[in-house]
Amino acid sequence: MADLPVENKELIARLRDPETCRGAFGEVIKTYSEPLYWQIRRMVQSHDDADDILQNTFMKAWSSIENFRGDAKLSTWLYKIAINESITFLDRERKRLSVSIDDQEADLARTIEADTFFDGDELQRKLRVAIASLPEKQRLVFNMKYFDDMKYEDMSNILGTSIGALKASYHLAVKKIENFFTGTD
Amino acid sequence: MKNQSDILNRIDRKDGLTVPEGYFENFAAKMIESLPYRDEAEKPAGIIHAPATFWSRVRPYVYLAAMFAGIWCMLKMFSLMVSPTDANNVIDRNPVLAEAIGSDAFINDYVFDDLSQWDIIDEMIEDGFDSSSLENFAESDHEISFIDPAAPAGSE
Repeated sequence: MADLPVENKELIARLRDPETCRGAFGEVIKTYSEPLYWQIRRMVQSHDDADDILQNTFMKAWSSIENFRGDAKLSTWLYKIAINESITFLDRERKRLSVSIDDQEADLARTIEADTFFDGDELQRKLRVAIASLPEKQRLVFNMKYFDDMKYEDMSNILGTSIGALKASYHLAVKKIENFFTGTD
Repeated sequence: MKNQSDILNRIDRKDGLTVPEGYFENFAAKMIESLPYRDEAEKPAGIIHAPATFWSRVRPYVYLAAMFAGIWCMLKMFSLMVSPTDANNVIDRNPVLAEAIGSDAFINDYVFDDLSQWDIIDEMIEDGFDSSSLENFAESDHEISFIDPAAPAGSE
């Protein structure tokens, strides 16, 4: 995975023009659907759930496109929506199934085991389970840094957390994952 | 610790996740198609004006001219009411009226025609005339007679 897509000033200008915003938003979907999908998928594990959340993300972005004034980066704005949608989905699922956070982690582990859209090896499968056992915030930070190699500055803008706190959170997540492998190897 | 770090290095940032074939291409097409139309976001920001007609171009000037004409009419009317310029309406400039007003007979006959003696006496008293001087006047054998309006005719 690479950095966030490069911001296109011309695209943003077209997004803000009522006559061209629909066409420009189509380009936004083409550009951002893949990086957003992977971010969502690593949070909720299931492809079908990730697909639903991705659609909701773009629907929300489209319905509030006039709120995007170009002060923040387009990618930051979209990631924020995607992450909020993912966390809202996990909260809703937890309430719907009346399970605790620990039980939900176990449920995510079962989803990983049954996932048909996975062609990794046993080590990668274990890593997914280890990540699913992390608290939500640490999971987000670990996914963004480890898989997407995202800059702490970008992560700070998206998550609204200081860079120092993000570094500490990532370090803690790596430790927990290492401990997970130590305990299961 | 080194072995544990090696695990993440061995995985090499690959998670093994996949998607159905052509998922992202289909997703973009499906998503673009399903975007609802939004009035407030997609309508042009400005108001579209109809082509300007001759009347719409000259209308401001016509309204301006009508306004000044109205103001001129009002001023003209006020000046007529306050200081009429018609010479026949000015008494001082009318020689017939001026001569008539200068004549005591005309004033007595036409202006004070309906004044009674009582009205004149009331007027004199209001102006500070001392009625006791009339008594002194009577005592000094000057003859004066008051007309009693309530008394029957011929009773004095």
